[in-house]
Amino acid sequence: MTKNEFIKEISEFCEFENNDYTIDTELKTIDGYDSLAVLSMIAFIDDNFSTQLTADQFSELTDFNSLIQTIGEEKFEDG
Amino acid sequence: MYSKISRIEIHLPSSIRSNKELAEKFGRWDPENMEKKVGIRERRIASPDETAADLAFHAAEKVLKNYNREHIDMLIFCTQSPDYFLPTSACLLQERLRLPNTTAAFDFNQGCSGYIYGLSMAKAYINSGIANTVLLLTAETYSKHIHEKDLGNQSIFGDGAAATIIERSDKEHIFDFILGSDGSGKENLIVKNGGFRNQNTINAVPKETSSGDIYTDNHIFMNGPEIFNFTIKAVPQAVNACLEKNKLSLDEINYVIFHQANKFMIDYLRKKLKISPDKFYSNMLLTGNTVSATIPIAMKDAYEKNLIRSGDKVLLCGFGVGYSWGAVVIEIL
Repeated sequence: MTKNEFIKEISEFCEFENNDYTIDTELKTIDGYDSLAVLSMIAFIDDNFSTQLTADQFSELTDFNSLIQTIGEEKFEDG
Repeated sequence: MYSKISRIEIHLPSSIRSNKELAEKFGRWDPENMEKKVGIRERRIASPDETAADLAFHAAEKVLKNYNREHIDMLIFCTQSPDYFLPTSACLLQERLRLPNTTAAFDFNQGCSGYIYGLSMAKAYINSGIANTVLLLTAETYSKHIHEKDLGNQSIFGDGAAATIIERSDKEHIFDFILGSDGSGKENLIVKNGGFRNQNTINAVPKETSSGDIYTDNHIFMNGPEIFNFTIKAVPQAVNACLEKNKLSLDEINYVIFHQANKFMIDYLRKKLKISPDKFYSNMLLTGNTVSATIPIAMKDAYEKNLIRSGDKVLLCGFGVGYSWGAVVIEIL
């Protein structure tokens, strides 16, 4: 999937307030970004990228771009 | 010699901690989201003078009703909240339950994999001829380990107990086990103080998680994301290894009961393993996560709802603190 598709789909999966965030959106500003959302994100990333992010990696995330870089930009169609 | 599970009874403490109560106490919480995503509406909490051994006692009294307790020759008690460091709480329960003095009695310290470990020991003792009838008690009061300002863990864990009788049988009903451990996960679900590694519990410094939950080293710390990561790796491997060891395919399994950790986690594991939802148990709505008691509580509920029937092959899998895990296939009597 592309980066924008990823942002849209993970936002819907985690039931964030919106799904039109950008790579510059700061995760901690998102309504619904809480400890349960982190579990949802772990599941989504595992299911779609066969990759597991650790709790430490999550704590260092800033915006969606940092999440994409942590997953590995090369795993995206437009990476 | 072979083994069978012949009876299960459960006991939950009477005090209820509801999502509504937690929302009022903490203010910063969505009880509907908790119920929808985590699958928990209420959990039972032991009173201050009620221990895991007390809960186990009540479950045991129920399972021993109309049963000749002279037949019991082994009592195995799984808990991480014993009455004392010594003597073993199982000995105290032997006396309280008026079991014969020929009863072997011991505790073992396990959490969410405890029921599977307990069944494995019961089968081993029976099939080797050392015991005839094992009373396996799994009881937990994690509420007593949780900080009063730790919303996260207060919302997940409930207290409860189960009593299971495992008897000698003329055909095998408890098949092959997979058991495993990974101590590298020790820091992710731990009560650091109070044992002999860190004896000092005085002036424990309050700490805050990224979710705003408060704990000290005298209390439970749980790293939810790391626990989830562990289960994503360990549980599919354990289930597949268990099926292979038992020479069964998933299609030949009638029903699957995992440790009822939380709805989101076990539903994800179900999808990952491609287990059909109509043969997968998921219900911790009124109990929360009761640690080593979740699987027998689920088994009893599934049996009473006719979700599992005589002759069914059921795969059980427990996983969690340690890290520790176990899986087994059993046949319902």
